[in-house]
Amino acid sequence: MLRGPGLLLPLRLRRAAPAGPGHRRDCHRQQEQEQSSDSGSGPDSGSGSAGPQPLEPSLLRFLVCPLSKRPLRYEESTNELINEELGIAYPIIDGIPNMVPEAARRTHTKAPAEGSEQP
Amino acid sequence: MAALRLWRCGCRALLSRPAAAPRARRGLAAGPEMHFGFQTVTEEERREKIYQVFENVAKKYDVMNDSMTLGIHRVWKDILVHKMNPCPGTLLLDVAGGTGDIAFRFINYVRSVRQRQLQRKLKHHQNLSWQEIFESYQNDKFNNSLGDSQVVVCDINREMLKVGKQKAQHLGYSEGLSWVLGNAEELPFDDDKFDVYTIAFGIRNVTRIDLALQEAYRVLKPGGRFLCLEFSHVSNPLLSRLYDLYSFQVIPVLGEVIAGDWRSYQYLVESIRQFPPQEELKAMIEDAGFFKVDYENLNFGIVAIHSGFKL
Repeated sequence: MLRGPGLLLPLRLRRAAPAGPGHRRDCHRQQEQEQSSDSGSGPDSGSGSAGPQPLEPSLLRFLVCPLSKRPLRYEESTNELINEELGIAYPIIDGIPNMVPEAARRTHTKAPAEGSEQP
Repeated sequence: MAALRLWRCGCRALLSRPAAAPRARRGLAAGPEMHFGFQTVTEEERREKIYQVFENVAKKYDVMNDSMTLGIHRVWKDILVHKMNPCPGTLLLDVAGGTGDIAFRFINYVRSVRQRQLQRKLKHHQNLSWQEIFESYQNDKFNNSLGDSQVVVCDINREMLKVGKQKAQHLGYSEGLSWVLGNAEELPFDDDKFDVYTIAFGIRNVTRIDLALQEAYRVLKPGGRFLCLEFSHVSNPLLSRLYDLYSFQVIPVLGEVIAGDWRSYQYLVESIRQFPPQEELKAMIEDAGFFKVDYENLNFGIVAIHSGFKL
């Protein structure tokens, strides 16, 4: 996988472009990004079991969100698979994507299906 | 979380095909009570308990399998992969395959088929020009030893996956092998993606078998094959008695001695007795939409391999 400080920069810029609601989330995100870039882009980020292992690129052609069955976006900076529609992110732990909804993290502050949005 | 659950229900409702609806309704009518071995528990409790069982046994899983079956489980798994007969390029999803037993066999099998193919090709070209030799080396760079085959191992249990991944590193498997934590009832894979779906000694532990079968159907390509290796029921009464004796008197003891875990192995043998027999499982697979559903008993039905096609 391509990984390094050089690659994180354009990703950050891209993240900033779609204006999301709420500043709190953005601050939170930034913190996480910094954490992961500190530990991830070190000299030993190749195969060491200590650093976070990135996603295997070949998996992306199979993986979808188990809830909506829609494609996911791989966010390299946080090492997560993101479902933009539902606003949830699946973590990748030791290189293994954790694709159970119970393990997913909310990315939106607003829940996608709370009362008003019922069809 | 409540919102997530809502979504899940919605997705499940979309997923349940009319063919499988009566069975699903029957399951719901019986209430949320399920079997955990011979105990009756709720669906949620069952999931948790089974997670704990495999969390406990993950590290000793291989040793226990060897000692309980006298190594025969290896033969059963070999037979499964031979039955699959994958060619280079096959995409396999192995569900509940945490420790990699099926995945490693699949890789070995595809590699040997590929090697034979290459040898046959070489035999046809005994007198190669330098240009041809150069080209064949160039091609080798692009064609890996698996011919672009890939196996995705999906298991709900983190400990089992951890053990499998370590084993893969230790045995030197990396190419064409990936690991995903996911639920068989709610697979995180796109529709029509895989050539083969295998589940070996896993479906028994799935809480909603009907959902798992529907998901298997969904992720398989048209023409794809479903293969299930699972403990089943021995029909011969004498053998059945002997088998029961061994299961209930010996296996939990082995579990205690080797893994220090009586209860997990007690669950194992009980769950085997609770699992639907050959014909019933066959009907369930057909209900999920599979065609040409068939099964083969191994060792008098101690285990059975069920097979079906998505056409």
